[in-house]
Amino acid sequence: MAEAVALHDPAARQRGTALLLGLAVLWPLLVVADFRPGEIFEIRNLKTVGAFLAGFLPPETGAEFLAYLVRATLETLAIATAGMALAFLLALPLVSLSTRALAAAEIGPGPGYARAQFLHYGLRALLTVLRGIPELVWALLFVRVFGLGPAAGVLALALGYGGMLTKVYSEILESGDTRPARAILEAGGGRLQALFYGLLPGAARELTSYTVYRWECAVRASVVMGFVGAGGLGQLMDQAMKMLNGGEASTILLTFLLLVLAADALSHFLRQQVGAAGTVGRKAGFGVSACAIAGLVLLAVVSSFGALDIHFGALLMRESMGLIGDFAVSFFPPDLSLPWLSRVAYGTLETLAISATGTLLAVLGGFVLAFPASGRYGRLAGQFSRFLLNALRSIPELVWATLTVLSVGLGPFAGVLALALHTTGVLGRLFAETLQNAPPAARDALVDAGARPVVAFLYGTLPEVMPQLLAYTLYRWEMNIRMAAILGFVGAGGLGQLLYFELSLFRYAEACTVIAAMLLLSIVVDAASSEVRRRLR
Amino acid sequence: MNHTLRRLALKGAVACALISSFAGFALAQENVLRVSAIPDEVPTELQRKFAPLGKYLEKETGMKVSFVPVSDYAAVVESLAIRKLDLVWLGGFTFVQARIRSNGTAIPIVQREEDAHFTSKFVTADPNIKSYADLKGKTFAFGSPSSTSGHLMPRFFLQQAGIRPDKDFRNIAFSGAHDATVAFVAAGKADAGVLNASVWDKLVEAKKVDPAKVRVFATTPPYFDYNWTVRGDLDPALVKKLTEAFLKLDPKNPEHAEIMQLQRASKFIPTKKENYDGIEKAAQSAGLLK
Repeated sequence: MAEAVALHDPAARQRGTALLLGLAVLWPLLVVADFRPGEIFEIRNLKTVGAFLAGFLPPETGAEFLAYLVRATLETLAIATAGMALAFLLALPLVSLSTRALAAAEIGPGPGYARAQFLHYGLRALLTVLRGIPELVWALLFVRVFGLGPAAGVLALALGYGGMLTKVYSEILESGDTRPARAILEAGGGRLQALFYGLLPGAARELTSYTVYRWECAVRASVVMGFVGAGGLGQLMDQAMKMLNGGEASTILLTFLLLVLAADALSHFLRQQVGAAGTVGRKAGFGVSACAIAGLVLLAVVSSFGALDIHFGALLMRESMGLIGDFAVSFFPPDLSLPWLSRVAYGTLETLAISATGTLLAVLGGFVLAFPASGRYGRLAGQFSRFLLNALRSIPELVWATLTVLSVGLGPFAGVLALALHTTGVLGRLFAETLQNAPPAARDALVDAGARPVVAFLYGTLPEVMPQLLAYTLYRWEMNIRMAAILGFVGAGGLGQLLYFELSLFRYAEACTVIAAMLLLSIVVDAASSEVRRRLR
Repeated sequence: MNHTLRRLALKGAVACALISSFAGFALAQENVLRVSAIPDEVPTELQRKFAPLGKYLEKETGMKVSFVPVSDYAAVVESLAIRKLDLVWLGGFTFVQARIRSNGTAIPIVQREEDAHFTSKFVTADPNIKSYADLKGKTFAFGSPSSTSGHLMPRFFLQQAGIRPDKDFRNIAFSGAHDATVAFVAAGKADAGVLNASVWDKLVEAKKVDPAKVRVFATTPPYFDYNWTVRGDLDPALVKKLTEAFLKLDPKNPEHAEIMQLQRASKFIPTKKENYDGIEKAAQSAGLLK
């Protein structure tokens, strides 16, 4: 009998149940997402994509086109940098007003307590709205009020990323040691004093590192903004793809790849610099390199604003404020008629299905590529798979979507594939890192005891890394739900397609309902995902 | 420290940028004619096509002409309505939208002779589709939702023929542009589609489409399409100069011939708002305008 017990797989029941439950939830989502993997491999479709990809060679190198390309690339970089600078300026006051680490509401009742609490929750709500609406939707709206061109992209980044920075800055400040700040506040110090002398000294490094990382994301985001007319590389790409001009598309894709890899490397370098400052053996503070970097950042920001030639003065004049007001008012009241609500509800379900299916496919793909990428099958395989992951990751979802639409036709499945391709790159890299860092003790013990490598992995490594993998997946799903909401702009179904159609016909009340649905969806998914992550811990 | 420094740097930079842009605004603005076009072709192509016309207009008006490339039809309409653009190339439906969004002030000045009797072609690669009625239960590709020849008028004529696209088609796709519609139909991504007759002719001429595979099975009756429109509060003297500049274009003049060829125009003729009333009615009855 004792042998029978030993042969029984202790984890089988739990894993089996989880798998079945997962499939039961997934099935209807697959149906809604129009999941037809066979479609990709149909001869006719392979031929179409093949013919288009064949058109990629040779890449377009005409001088006229290259001139456009260089200008668009610079514009993309400038939009990212200028948008990030504004987001930073927006986030600063919002953080100091909204972070719990400085909240008077947390200290307890006192004079002005009710007002402080009201302000605190009001700000949190505002931040949720800023973050919950994808920056591409902001861009689409701003293109309407501020006219075409980079101003719309910069402002969209400023708002979306302002909200995002505020949230993450607050989390960083709250997760650090808040006692010094509390002490200053309780001793009667002001909010700013508490922020500067109580909180910043402990958190400055992490804050800077995150800001730099976010800039790298902003570069990718500003590429995508071009798809709605906000200038830069995306605008060129959108048209090249629409007109099936393979040569131009491949040159633009190569430029993307280089740009993203360069931004990646720069961001990595800067973060390393920040990490190194203040460690043992290096003097913290105003070193030569710190000043040089600060100077370069300043120069980059100034020249970005210079290059973009945005007339903020014109935006703030009474006349354009009036126009913005009229524009905003035309969205209210939202269209809440029953037939429209049911269409929006179906769009929401479709978006949910696209994001869930795409993320799951990416988990599979990422997992498979993570093994060679973590260096398990030799250096060559490692380098090749890491390059593949980087390439997948560098190309934004929206660009993938223009390709997948061609392969499987317009509709949600194209969106699923686009999300899956990009996310595979992201998750594969994270998974590989996790596998590399997994403590080997349990696995080695199993191997020493004579277990086969697969078994040793399943019962030695997997339990160790599972919570981390799940956390990454959930976090990515939160981002993908926002992305799925906008993939429809290029014909990949869901809420985005509805929104784009309604905005094209200037039906703003209907559009407002769609935006509200996007917001609601992202809030619900955020809450669900953070709840699950909390339980995993 | 690094962070503090960086923040200070950022603040300074933005302050500088704000100041300089305020200053810049006072100087800029006047004496630039801002032109754009709905993106029914690649912006690089549009920019290339526009370059000689831009030079010509600069010479005729004595103003600097700048072309703003765009990728969204509706953005062009809204930009004209909020006076961010002065002169735009619009389709029939986008002109109707612009007229409504600008409270009736947008003025169409000229159109190409061929725009007065424009048509759309219904194309398919399916041998069983021979008439509108055969489209029931099929997937169908329009161009952009805002397109006159790629969406509005075909939808209107389909409805006249008793076909309700939203109910009778299995699936409706918006390809985004005329060339893309043909690519979708040729690849079998859509059973049938519809596009601008002029782009169809161009594709056939350039051998970008195989007429043995993709064929035209129906053509719409003619309607008014594209025009050049100015915003209503543009200086009337300038509007007059612009109109005359277009009307003066003569294909026999070699300098003008290049412009005309790039614009695919044999001649520019005056146009008026009333020409587009039919399109407005069609948009209303197709449910694309309230």
